[in-house]
Amino acid sequence: MQTIIPSSKTVLTALLKADFTTQWRNRKAVVLLLLVPVIILISWKGVADKLGGAFVLSNCITIGLNAVGLMGYSNSIARDRDKGVFQRLRVAPLPSWSIMVSRLLVQLTMILLVTTAVFIAGSNIDKITLAPLGYTLGYMTAISGGAVYLGLGQAIVGLIKNAETVNSTTRLVYFVFIMVGMFGELGMLGEKIGAIVKWSPYGVVKHIISSAMQPGTWDQQTSIALLATVLYAIVFAALGIKKFRWNAR
Amino acid sequence: MDQQNGYILQVEGLNVCYGAFKAVTNVSFNVSPGEIFGLLGPNGAGKTSTLSSIEGLMQPQSGDILVAGYNIKEKPLYAKANTGVQLQSTSFQPELFVGEIIQLYAGIYGVEMNQDKLDNILSDIKLKDATTKRFGQLSGGQQQRVSLVIAMIHNPRLVLLDEPTSGLDPQSRRQLWERMESLRSNNHAILLTTHSMEEAEAVCDRIAIIDHGQIVAIDTPSALIDKHRHDPEVIKASRKGKITLEDVFIGLTGFAIRS
Repeated sequence: MQTIIPSSKTVLTALLKADFTTQWRNRKAVVLLLLVPVIILISWKGVADKLGGAFVLSNCITIGLNAVGLMGYSNSIARDRDKGVFQRLRVAPLPSWSIMVSRLLVQLTMILLVTTAVFIAGSNIDKITLAPLGYTLGYMTAISGGAVYLGLGQAIVGLIKNAETVNSTTRLVYFVFIMVGMFGELGMLGEKIGAIVKWSPYGVVKHIISSAMQPGTWDQQTSIALLATVLYAIVFAALGIKKFRWNAR
Repeated sequence: MDQQNGYILQVEGLNVCYGAFKAVTNVSFNVSPGEIFGLLGPNGAGKTSTLSSIEGLMQPQSGDILVAGYNIKEKPLYAKANTGVQLQSTSFQPELFVGEIIQLYAGIYGVEMNQDKLDNILSDIKLKDATTKRFGQLSGGQQQRVSLVIAMIHNPRLVLLDEPTSGLDPQSRRQLWERMESLRSNNHAILLTTHSMEEAEAVCDRIAIIDHGQIVAIDTPSALIDKHRHDPEVIKASRKGKITLEDVFIGLTGFAIRS
């Protein structure tokens, strides 16, 4: 009897179909995830002129990316690990990386959805429009920024085994990031906090997205912020992968 | 590649450690086609570590595991492609319907699955109406039937069943035994772990009793009873004068409750 190993494409197609179906069945959570940045965008309508369209949009996208990585990705991984979903998949003839690649591709779609939702809401509600290049670079930097938060989510599920603890930790980190990030960016928490926020995962991601939407404003500081973004993504992902266990027990 | 010596599963000198703790020490056994092999042991005896190593979920410290001739360390995907697994607490994505779960695993194993075939499979296990039900909505017996269908979806040569009848009512248990026997008659090799001595005696062709990470006895159920019926510990364990497999099991592994 000949042993047949399905191709990576076949395996990935099956996993993607299941993972996208799972995401679709959780569409209420997805809508909530999209609503937070859009509501913040609407609430800032009056100050959009003063702060600048790119500032407002980049803040909202960064908040959305936080939610994707911290609330969406990490919690779904923690839950499935806790329930033994991964162990069931791992006894099948598929490479372990394909399980994570499928999950990450779903999150990549979520990153694009959040960014699109903010762009559409920005254009229709706050009348913020960008040049085509601004939109293109905005998407590209949103993906890079999304990698930081997916990496951070991975690090959290790597360091914490219990799904409930992962859930509460990610909520706390999410809350701290958006509150300290937003108000720190606006200079409302003092200079010291402002400087910390500027080079924090929140600040650097917001910075590169903002500059990418107005390519003329890209300067040396932005390049350093991009480098910091890449470093954050690598460090978080490396920590998350190294510490990750497929089994919660 | 085909299995050597006619065995579907060969476990040779298996050692599994968790830090300084040795969970499995020098465990060896083989399972032939058309054989139901039972792995019995008290809690913490090393059954799960042995099974996890065969499933490829755990890296043993040393030893060889060959499934249909493929070494799990060297050719893990080939070994897994020849193995069907029903885990002790099988869980699937709770958002997926039963039909979608079966299609997912068919895709993963590279098995063609159209709607007709899916309907036939579900009819076969008397779950035709479950296509659009979630796995969590099924009863324990129905869940076990679905899990077994998924384990068998690619017609594997080796089937690993980890306490498949725990929590089932007598009817569901009997039904599962019949399915196991049907698999045996189709020349599948089955490795079964169970705490039920009645089940082991009813369906297993051979049994290995494992304790403290080591195999303490290996033989057919009747031969094990015959061999140990005069052991003082076995006689002490006997409750009604007649020696049963459970008496032999307790006689060999002790009366103490394990954690």
